[in-house]
Amino acid sequence: MTYFYDSRVTENGIELTESILRKNMERRSALKNIALAAGAMISLPTWAQSWKQSELQATNYLSVEASQLLKEVVEVIIPKTDTPGAGELGVADFVQLMIVDCYDQPTQDRFKMGLERIQALAKAQGTSFSKLPQPEKLQLLKGLEKSENSEEKSFLNLLKNLTIQGYMSSEYVMTNLTHYEMVPARYHGCVPVKG
Amino acid sequence: MANFNIDSKKDRTYDAIVIGSGISGGWSAKELTEKGMKTLLLERGRNVEHIKDYPTTNMMPWEFAHRERMPKEVVDANPIASSCYNFKESSAHFFVKDDEHPYIQEKPFQWIRGYQVGGKSLLWARQTQRWSQFDFDGPARDQFAVEWPISYKELAPWYTHVERFAGITGNKDGLDTLPDGDFLKPHDLNCVEKYFKQQVARQYKDRHIIIGRAAHITDAKQIHFDQGRAACQHRTMCERGCPFGGYFSSNASTIPWALKTGNLTLRPDSVVHSLIYDEKLGKAVGVRVVDSLTKEMMEFYARIIFVNASALNTNLILLNSISTRFPNGLGNDNGLMGKYVAFHNYRATVSADYDGFLDSTTDGRRPNSGYIPRFRNVYKQETDFLRGYAAGFGANRVSYNDRSDMGEDLKAGLMETKYGGWHVGSHMMGETIPKESNFVALDGAEKDAYGMPKLRIHVAYDDNDEKMVKDYMEQMTEMYTQAGFTNIRTHDSHRIPGNDIHEMGGVRMGKDPKTSLLNKWNQLHNVKNVFVTDGAAMTSTSTQNPSLTYMAFSARSVDYAVKQMKAKNL
Repeated sequence: MTYFYDSRVTENGIELTESILRKNMERRSALKNIALAAGAMISLPTWAQSWKQSELQATNYLSVEASQLLKEVVEVIIPKTDTPGAGELGVADFVQLMIVDCYDQPTQDRFKMGLERIQALAKAQGTSFSKLPQPEKLQLLKGLEKSENSEEKSFLNLLKNLTIQGYMSSEYVMTNLTHYEMVPARYHGCVPVKG
Repeated sequence: MANFNIDSKKDRTYDAIVIGSGISGGWSAKELTEKGMKTLLLERGRNVEHIKDYPTTNMMPWEFAHRERMPKEVVDANPIASSCYNFKESSAHFFVKDDEHPYIQEKPFQWIRGYQVGGKSLLWARQTQRWSQFDFDGPARDQFAVEWPISYKELAPWYTHVERFAGITGNKDGLDTLPDGDFLKPHDLNCVEKYFKQQVARQYKDRHIIIGRAAHITDAKQIHFDQGRAACQHRTMCERGCPFGGYFSSNASTIPWALKTGNLTLRPDSVVHSLIYDEKLGKAVGVRVVDSLTKEMMEFYARIIFVNASALNTNLILLNSISTRFPNGLGNDNGLMGKYVAFHNYRATVSADYDGFLDSTTDGRRPNSGYIPRFRNVYKQETDFLRGYAAGFGANRVSYNDRSDMGEDLKAGLMETKYGGWHVGSHMMGETIPKESNFVALDGAEKDAYGMPKLRIHVAYDDNDEKMVKDYMEQMTEMYTQAGFTNIRTHDSHRIPGNDIHEMGGVRMGKDPKTSLLNKWNQLHNVKNVFVTDGAAMTSTSTQNPSLTYMAFSARSVDYAVKQMKAKNL
C-alpha cells in the first residue's frame, strides 16, 4: 500500500494526476494520487523511508464512480458555506486512504457496501445520489446514522468520524479556522476560560 | 605489507572505545574526550545528525498522510515496535523493524529498540528524577538481589554534574525521598493538579504531588548555548527530534560536544560482536565489529572500553565475548551474567473526573506532567509486598465539539469549542524485584543477520507485582475520593514487560565478585579495563525513570577510569 514515505509519489504526482483525468486509471496509480492529495508532499531521505511498504496493494478498491460518490457524501456531511466543505478540501481522498491503509479487509468490504447502499437508497427514490436535492441527501445519510441495521449504522459512524478527522486536520481548517499552533512556546496551568 | 598492517592496527587504536551512542554512551564519550582521551564511539545503527536528520521535525499535522496513525500492514508486521506509545508516522524511522532484529521471547517481552546514533535518547520520555538513599538501601534492607556498592552521597555530585549540562527543569521540593537537583525553573502544575497537591498534603504527611523533573531547557544558560541548544518551545513533538535542542539527547548535546574536542571518532553502522580478551595481558584489548553495510568483521583497539549498548544488548555483547579465560562471557566467573534482570511495572492507571475550577483551563502545551514520589515502604516495611511505586499524575480540562449532527449544523458545531469538566489521570511506575529466574541468555543455535547469537529473554511479573498493582489502585482511589474526584476508573493493562522500556540488570554492581559483575566504579571485577554504565549495571530498579542515573554513573565512572589510567593502573 502507498505510504507517504514513498518518494516516487512526490516525483510522479503531477503526471499521475493528469493521467487520471485523461483515462480510466489503473487502481494502483490512483491510490498513489490519493497519497499525494492527502498531503504527501514531503520528500524524506532514503533511510527514513525504511518503513514504507515495498509494493502497492494490488487490490482494486473503490471504482472511479464510487470515489466520486464518496466525495459527494463527505461534502454533504460537511458542506460548503462561507468556507469550503469537506469535498473541496480533499477529505474523500483522506477517508479512502485511511480505509485502505489502516483498516482490515472486512471493514474495507463493509465500507464499500455502505457506499453501494447509499446509491441504492437514492435509486429507490428514482434517481442517483448526486441528483437528489440537498435536503434529501442529508436525510438519506441521517437515516443511515439512525438505522436499526447495525452495519449501516457503523458504516455511517466510520465515514462520519473519518470525515470529521480529515476536515479538522486539513491544512485549510487548521490554518484559517482553528489556528493551529506549531510552536506554542508556553504553558500556563490556570487561565480563565474565554467567552 | 607488514608496515601496512602495523599502520592499519595503529589507525584502529584509540585510548578508549565506547560501545553505543545512546544516552549513557553519549555521556561516556563526552567525558572521555573532554579529558583528552582519543575515543572511538561505535554505534550499530545509522548516523543521525542533529536537526539535519530529523526529517519530520517541522512537518505540519496535515502533512502526515494518515495523521500519525501507522498503516495496518506495518502494525501487523511489527507487533513489538507498534506496541510502543511513541511509534507513529512522525517517529517510526527511529525504531527498529521486528523482523530485522529478531530475539526469542521465552516469556512475552516487548523489546523496544532504536538503532541509530543517539539511540533511544531521541525517543525517551525525558523524566529525570534522582534516586535517594532509600532507593539504594532497598536490596540490603529487604534482602533481595545484592547490596548496592554505592551510596546516594557518592553519586550526588555526579547527578549535579550531568544535570547542569543536560538542562533539567524541576522544582526544589525538599523531599528526602526524591532529592532536589540543579534545576532550571519548573513547569507549572495546573489548577487541578495544585488542588490535588493541597488535598493530598492535608491528608498524608508522606505523600506529595510535585511537577516532574524533566530534561527540558526552561531557561537556557550559557552552557546550553555553548552546545548550540535553546529553550524548549513547548511543541511536545520531542520524538521527532528537536530542532531547538530543547530537550536533552545525545544528538543535540553530548555527541556534538565530544566531536568539538577533536578527540572523537564516531563510527555508525558498527555492530559490536564481542570484546577481545588478551590472555597474557589479562585484560580486554579491543572489540570485534561487524560493519552492518559490508558485513565485514574488523577489530579496533583501546586501553579502556565502555559498554553502553543498552541494557540487554550490553548483556548480549559481554556474554558473546568468549575466551579461554572466560568461556561463559567476559568477566562472568560466577555465572550470574544475564541474570537478575528487572524492569518497571507500568500496568495500572487510575482516572477520574473533577467538576471544580470550571471557570479555568490551561494554555499552551507542557512536555512534562505531575509526579508522585514513592511513598510505600519507604521508611519501613508496611505492606504485604516489597518496595513500592512512583506515579505520574496529570489533569486536563476536557474540551469537545458537538459532533451529533450532519450538514451545516455539524460544521458549525465543529467550530465551537465546548468545555466539560476536568479529567485526571495517573499511571504507576512500580519497582520490580530482580530474580535469578528473570534472565537473558544466548541462544545456542540461532543467529541474526550479523552473526550474533539471538538473545533469549525470560522475564515476567511475579506475585509482588500483582499485589503492588492492587495497592496502587486502592491508594489512588482513596486519594482521589478524598479530593472529591468522581467517576473513578481503575485499569490494569497487563502491559507486557519490556514495554516500559526500563529493562535493567544482568551485569549488576555489587561489593562481592562472587555475587556481582561490576564494582562500585562500574568496572568489571575481573577485567578492570572494561566499564558498564548503562542499564545493565543496575542492581535494583527502584521507581525512578533511570536515564539520569545512567548519565551520572557514566560521568563518574569515566572520571575514575581516566584517573586510573593516569596513575598507570589501567
